Amino acid sequence: MHVRKIRVALVACGVAACAMAVVAAAQGGRAAGGKVTVAGVIALTGSSDFEGQNQVGGLYPAIYAINQAGGVNGDQVVFKGVDTRGDPADALPAVQQMLATTSNLVAVAGPDTSSAPTIVPVLNQAKIPMMAVAGESVYDRNTAPYFWRLFPPDAANGTAMVLWAKRKGYKRVAAVFGTDSGSQGDKPGVIASLKALHIQLVANVDLTPTQPTYLSSARKVLAAHPDVIMTESDATTAGTFFGELKSLGGLVPIIGTEATFTSPWLTAVKGALGSDFLTDYTGLITAPSKPTAAVTEYRHAVTAVKGQEPKPWQSYLSNPFSITYYDGMIAVALAMVATHSNDPKVFNTAIPSVTNPGKGKKIVYTFAAGKAALAAGKHIEYVGATGLINFDKWHNSFGNQEAVKSTSSLKPVSLGVVTAQQIQAVPVKGA
Amino acid sequence: MGSTLVSAIGFGVVLASIIAVAAMGFTIQFGLTNVLNLSFGAVMTVAAFSAYLANEHGVGGWSGLAVGGLAGAVLTLVLGRGIFKPYARRGAHLFEMMMVTLGLSLVINYAIQAISHNNIYQFAVLPSRPFQLGSILITHTQLVIVFISAAVLVALESLLRLTKIGRALRAMAADPELARACGIRTGRIVVLTWLLSGFLCGMAGVVYIINTQSVGYTTGQLFLPLVVAAAILGGAGSPLGAVLASLIMGIVTEVVAAFGSDAYSTVAGFGILVLVLLSRPGSVRGGQSGHTQLTL
Repeated sequence: MHVRKIRVALVACGVAACAMAVVAAAQGGRAAGGKVTVAGVIALTGSSDFEGQNQVGGLYPAIYAINQAGGVNGDQVVFKGVDTRGDPADALPAVQQMLATTSNLVAVAGPDTSSAPTIVPVLNQAKIPMMAVAGESVYDRNTAPYFWRLFPPDAANGTAMVLWAKRKGYKRVAAVFGTDSGSQGDKPGVIASLKALHIQLVANVDLTPTQPTYLSSARKVLAAHPDVIMTESDATTAGTFFGELKSLGGLVPIIGTEATFTSPWLTAVKGALGSDFLTDYTGLITAPSKPTAAVTEYRHAVTAVKGQEPKPWQSYLSNPFSITYYDGMIAVALAMVATHSNDPKVFNTAIPSVTNPGKGKKIVYTFAAGKAALAAGKHIEYVGATGLINFDKWHNSFGNQEAVKSTSSLKPVSLGVVTAQQIQAVPVKGA
Repeated sequence: MGSTLVSAIGFGVVLASIIAVAAMGFTIQFGLTNVLNLSFGAVMTVAAFSAYLANEHGVGGWSGLAVGGLAGAVLTLVLGRGIFKPYARRGAHLFEMMMVTLGLSLVINYAIQAISHNNIYQFAVLPSRPFQLGSILITHTQLVIVFISAAVLVALESLLRLTKIGRALRAMAADPELARACGIRTGRIVVLTWLLSGFLCGMAGVVYIINTQSVGYTTGQLFLPLVVAAAILGGAGSPLGAVLASLIMGIVTEVVAAFGSDAYSTVAGFGILVLVLLSRPGSVRGGQSGHTQLTL
C-alpha cells in the first residue's frame, strides 16, 4: 500500500513537471524562476579591450537594477562575455559559438564598430536583439529588425564637434585620426561638417597605431598652425602623438570624439600632457540635458556593483558608453516585461513602445518603476540616464551632445550643450 | 619641400639614436649567443617602468638611465641564465629558443599590462623647449639622446677592440669552440654579454620614454621590430653596423612619414631589410662566422 502511494506520487510529480514544461515552452522556452542570458559581444582582450570594460561598466549595473527589482517575468538576468578581440575574424566564430552553446539568450550588448558589419547579419538572422554602439553611417538607415542603436552616429558626433569649434571661434582645424576603423568612422562627419560650416581644414593627418614615434606627423600638424585639433585614435597612439606634439611646442586645444572620453584615452593623454590636459581637452559626449532620477539610479547601481566593475569603478559613473549600454539593457528588459515574454521574436518590436514618447504614457526613470507601472496596466516612456530615448523607424535614437572637459580624476565637467536639433540643422553632405 | 626633407632627416636621426642604443645591445647578444631574443622589447618596457618608478621616488633626471640600465641588465641576466640556458641544455635549437623568447615576451607584457592597468604614465622628467636648428625643430633633450647614442657606440667599439674582454667576446662570437680551447672563460663572457646587452636594452627603454615623455605597457614592443631589423641589417655582432642600419631605418621611416603617411613608414624601413636580406641571406643566422649553434 505504502509503495503504491509512492508510485502514485511519483507519477503525479512527473505529470506536473511535464505540464510546467509545456507552459514554460509556451512562454518562450524559459521556465519562470530561471535565468535569461544577456551576452556582451565586444573586445574583451587585445588593444581594444577598453571597449569591453566600458560595456561591463554599464551592463553590470543594469543587470543589478533589473534583478534587484525581481528580474524579468520571474527570471533573473545573467551576463555572458563574448570576446571579439576587436577583430571581425575573431568575432564571427565567437558569436557562432555563443549562439550554439548559450541557452536562454535574450539579447546582445554590442557589437562595436569593427565587428558590426560581420556580426549584425548573423545576430539578425538568429533573431537576437542587439544594442549596438557601431557608429557607421550605414546604420543611419538600418533595416535589420533586431538592430538597435542608442548611440549617435559617427557623423552626428563629428558635426557636434565642429559646431562646438565654431562656437569657440576656432577657424583653422587639424583633423588627427587613427587609421583603425573605429576612429576613421568619425572623420567623414568632421570633414563634411567643417565644409558645411565654412571652417578651414588645415591639416588632415592619419595615425597608424603601434608606431614607435609620430614626430613627422606632429610636425605636419605644427606646420599647419591650427587653432584646434579634432581627434580620435586608440589610447597608446594618442599618448605618444600628443606627447611628441607637446615636446615640439605644438600643443593647441583638442576636441575629441565621444570615444576619447574613456578612461584609457583620457589617462594616456593626461599622462602625456600633464596639467595641460585639464585645460586643452574638450570631449563631445552623449549626455542628458538635465540630471534626472535615471542618472541617480544608474550611479547607485554602479556603486552597488563596484566590486565587479573593472578598475577604476568610479570612471563608469560618467562613461558615456557604459551609460548607453545601461539604458539599452533596461529598455530591453522593460520590453520583455511589457510583452510578458522572454522570447526575442515577441518582445523585440515592443522596445520602442517602452521608450518613445507618446500621449498618456507614464514617464519612468528606473526599471523598477517601469515594471510597477506596466503591472498597473499603464503605458510607459522610459527616460534613461542618457536622457530621452526616441527610436526612429531605422531603430536609431540619439539626443543632445554635451561638451565636457575632464577633471584630474577623469570626471566630466559640462562646458555646454549642442542640441540634436542644431546637429540636424547642419547641411552635411558626404558624411 | 626642402625644409620638410631636412626636418624629416633630423627626426630620423633622433629616432635612429633611440633604435641604435637598443640595436647595439641586441646585436652584441645575438652575435655571441645566436638567440634571436624577442623578449628584448618586453625588457625595454620593464626598464622604462623601473625608471618611471624611480622617478616617482625621487631618482629623477638622467640618473633614470642608470636605473633602467640596471633593471634591464638584471632581468636579461635572469632570463639568460635562468630560462634560456636550461632550455638550451635540454636540446632547444634556434627556432625553439626563438619561440621561448616570444612566449616570455608575451608573459612579461601581459604582466606589465595587468600591473599598469593599461595606463600610460607621464615621464616628463626632462622637459625642454624646442628650438630651430636650421630647418630642424628639435629639443635639447633630443640632442642629448643623439649624443648618448654616439657615446655608447664609441664606448662599445672601444670595449670590443681595445680590451681583453672585448677580444674574448669577439673570439667567442667567431668560434665558441676554438675560443674555449684557447682558454677563454666562455661562461663568464656569456654572463657579461647578457649584462651588457640588458644594460643597453634598459637604457634604450629609458631614452625612448625621455623622448616621448610617457611610458606604457607597449613601450618596448613598438620598437622591437625596428631594433631587430637594424641589428640584422647591420650584421649580427657589429655595433657600428647596427648604428648605420638604425640611421637608415630611422631616416627612411621619418622621410616616408613626412612625405606620405606614417602607415607606410615602418613598411618602407622593412622594405630595405628585405632587400638587404635578399643580397645577404646569411645575416639572420647570427654570429660573425655564421655558426648556428646556441652559445649559452
